[in-house]
Amino acid sequence: MIEFVGENLIAGKLGELLVIISVVSTLLATVFYYNGSDLDLKDQSWRNIGRFFYRLHSAAFIGLISILFYLIATHSFEYYYVWRHSSSTLPMRYILSCFWEGQEGSTMLWAFWNVVLGNILIFSSKKWEGAVMTVFSSVQFFLSCMLIGIFVFDIQIGSNPFILLREHVDMISLPFTTNPNYLEFVEGNGLNPLLQNYWMTIHPPTVFFGFATTLIPFAYALSGLWKKEFQTWLKPAIPWAYFGIAILGLGILMGGAWAYEALSFGGFWAWDPVENSSLVPWLILVSAAHLMLINRSKPRSMFSTFTLTLFAFLTVVYSTYLTKSGILGETSVHSFADGLPGQLIIFLLFYLFVALFFLFKNGFQFLKASEDDAFWSREFWIFIASLVLVISAFQITISTSIPVINALFGTSLAPPSDPIAHYNSWQTPLAVLITFMMAVSQFLKYKETPFKDLSKKLLPSLILAAVISVVFIIHLEMDDFFIILLLFTSLFSAIANFDYFARILKGKIKKGGSAIAHFGFALVILGSLLSAGNKKIISKNQSPVDIKFEDNKNANRENVMLLKGDTVLMDPYYVTYTDRRIEEDRFVYFDMDYLKVNSKGRYEYLFTLNPYVQLNQQMGNVPEPSTKHYWNRDIFTHITFADLENLDSSSQEMYRESDTLFLNMGDSIFSSNAVIKLESFERKLDLDSLGLNADDIALGLNIHAKTLDGENYKALAIMVIRGNQLFSIEDEMEELGLKFGFAGINPDTEKLTILLSEKNKNAGDFIIMQAIVFPYINVLWIGCIVMVLGSLIAVYQRFFN
Amino acid sequence: MKKSHIIAIIVIAVSIGAIISTVSDAATYADFTAAEMNPGREYQVVGQLNKEKDILYSPTEDANIFSFYMVDNSGLEKKVVFHGAKPQDFERSEQVVITGSYEGEEFHADKILMKCPSKYNDGKGEGLMEISAESKS
Repeated sequence: MIEFVGENLIAGKLGELLVIISVVSTLLATVFYYNGSDLDLKDQSWRNIGRFFYRLHSAAFIGLISILFYLIATHSFEYYYVWRHSSSTLPMRYILSCFWEGQEGSTMLWAFWNVVLGNILIFSSKKWEGAVMTVFSSVQFFLSCMLIGIFVFDIQIGSNPFILLREHVDMISLPFTTNPNYLEFVEGNGLNPLLQNYWMTIHPPTVFFGFATTLIPFAYALSGLWKKEFQTWLKPAIPWAYFGIAILGLGILMGGAWAYEALSFGGFWAWDPVENSSLVPWLILVSAAHLMLINRSKPRSMFSTFTLTLFAFLTVVYSTYLTKSGILGETSVHSFADGLPGQLIIFLLFYLFVALFFLFKNGFQFLKASEDDAFWSREFWIFIASLVLVISAFQITISTSIPVINALFGTSLAPPSDPIAHYNSWQTPLAVLITFMMAVSQFLKYKETPFKDLSKKLLPSLILAAVISVVFIIHLEMDDFFIILLLFTSLFSAIANFDYFARILKGKIKKGGSAIAHFGFALVILGSLLSAGNKKIISKNQSPVDIKFEDNKNANRENVMLLKGDTVLMDPYYVTYTDRRIEEDRFVYFDMDYLKVNSKGRYEYLFTLNPYVQLNQQMGNVPEPSTKHYWNRDIFTHITFADLENLDSSSQEMYRESDTLFLNMGDSIFSSNAVIKLESFERKLDLDSLGLNADDIALGLNIHAKTLDGENYKALAIMVIRGNQLFSIEDEMEELGLKFGFAGINPDTEKLTILLSEKNKNAGDFIIMQAIVFPYINVLWIGCIVMVLGSLIAVYQRFFN
Repeated sequence: MKKSHIIAIIVIAVSIGAIISTVSDAATYADFTAAEMNPGREYQVVGQLNKEKDILYSPTEDANIFSFYMVDNSGLEKKVVFHGAKPQDFERSEQVVITGSYEGEEFHADKILMKCPSKYNDGKGEGLMEISAESKS
């Protein structure tokens, strides 16, 4: 036995014990709650025991989260998870990100929110407690199992977050595992630099909170089918569904904000598979929540309501499978490669089976019983809008699932090579329908609305939307048919909902939740199409160098090269690359000055942007953009390439290997910063002061350099012949970083051999950058906030009135 | 016919349309042989960068031209010309996925997706980080 020095083993053992307690207590809670699940139960004893075990699980879970946090905070690198996802140099503000960077941590985050929500339900669900908590406890059982990390017949069940570094499979044969003092030199692997961003500390918890809330409507719907209470479950479930819409919607757009601020693809949404798999559950949840509303008083489309409510949660599990199993592999920028695909599939299939079983056993009757609503009724329009949302979710799911399709059917399809065009070709027309229906249905009454009334009420919004559309089309030079159509319908939707709130509801905030939320969502769509649909790349290469592939359709010119000190036109701005500097040894900042030409024809300084590159030896350097925000547009600036070698100042001062040039007297050549001319021979040389022998033959060469600013410099390079040896005495132009040697004359051609070398700093300092203008992107962010506030107002109204 | 029937038919039709569009918009994974035989058609090729051969990028001449040699999964090596800036840390890539088509003597790519190994990763597929250098035309 080796005595390892400095290990804190008690914490890990305690953590493993708490995982076991969590697994056992969730299993027992499921069993006891199941026995006490009847809605009109008199005897509370089964429930009380179920409740006890759920609380025991809650305590155990909070304990094990605390332990993992403690281990990360104390840099306990004897634990693999801590070593893998953090380092001792990492600022404490990123400790949250370390926690959920890995598979186990993100599972714990999800389960944590279920702990919170489950304890709220224990108080609020009343007669439903037994049934909904059976569902909650069973889900927690599955999630807890994912943290066990034991082998049963060679099959690994779960992944233990408290496994020791020296006992991890990847490390087990390495020499350090037998060194008792290994902790003295072990340093953590560190956090992926992409995640070292403030959005990343709040985006994942918000998304997982949203994901977790879908379990409540799921639990109620399943309980409703199970206990054959087909209507009454709607009332307690509806507020939670809308709460989930608000939180998940916020979380998704936070992810968009992170992508926009910190990633380099130039935009907030790229139809990346991971983005898609958070959007799909939201779309299904929105659809389900609206169906719940129209079925609340009278069952009309209960089959769809049950199906979608159940699938809101099932798509969350499917999303988790997509992002955590590694199946997305080559298709996503941020899929997490380490996974437990088998367990996630069992988790998904189990609930899919349970949901379908009850749906067909008890829910099928509703498919036949549905009767048609009147065309001009709110419920009909809401129903159709919900279907459109489902189609939207379906299309995204199918295209995102290409790797799954390949795995199932053995095909070798690759994701669409232009995903943005592919998804937009479907989602833009669908968004046109959705936004249009959002406007109209707000003014429709339940049951039947006379068309005349409706058209009279909507006419002002229609006219105003049309006028504003025309202004935008001219102002932003829009020409895409569907984008223009969506511009009109989203404006119509925003204006109509605002109008409804102002005129019909007379501005009463309490009643206005729905109108405000829809107004906000219309702004989100409007902001997306204005900014993404009309983004303008202003960094077009205007260098005199010919485009080599002029007739090639792929030749894109979105990047521009800037030498330090250069000023280049990026219409309507002029951009100067003024300097770069290194901070904290790992951030290379670039100073990009934006200028404009004023009426007197002079440059006028506007602002400076500081895009930077985060140096990271382990995981690769990460460039991060910088953006100037105006109220009506953003200017996004991103370094696509920079020479990051020779960054330190001593190597900047070193000369590079010299170029050998063959020139005639009087010739001019260019160095990186000057025009150099060979002027004349210098024959009168004082050999003594040059340190040469009296019988040496020396010939000088006068060299003249003129910089672009018109300054003049001189140098004298000397060729020396000593016996049968020939060598050169070099001369330097210190300020320009140029060095000259004179190494020979060809007697036949009379060409002179010149050695020219330049300092690293002369050439190394250039960058390649991209600049994009996003018009009116603030409409999107404002819309997001308004939508979330509106939804929360609606939730508040339903909870407390 | 009831309204609900009409709606059901429309929903089913649109859903089938979505499936067809996914299949038809999907690109195909291929090797260089297939790409060479169908010049101008778009393919995604998976392979490794040949680090022995020249990786050429001279931004002072043209910031949007970058070329390298890649060996596809069947072992065939071809020159690849990427129309865009060179991705940071390209030399460290372990696997490269390029999208584009064969034209003339070279493969012209307009998208590169690469996987970089992390320093302590011993090839177990863990801790991969992908950098996408996308350029949209």
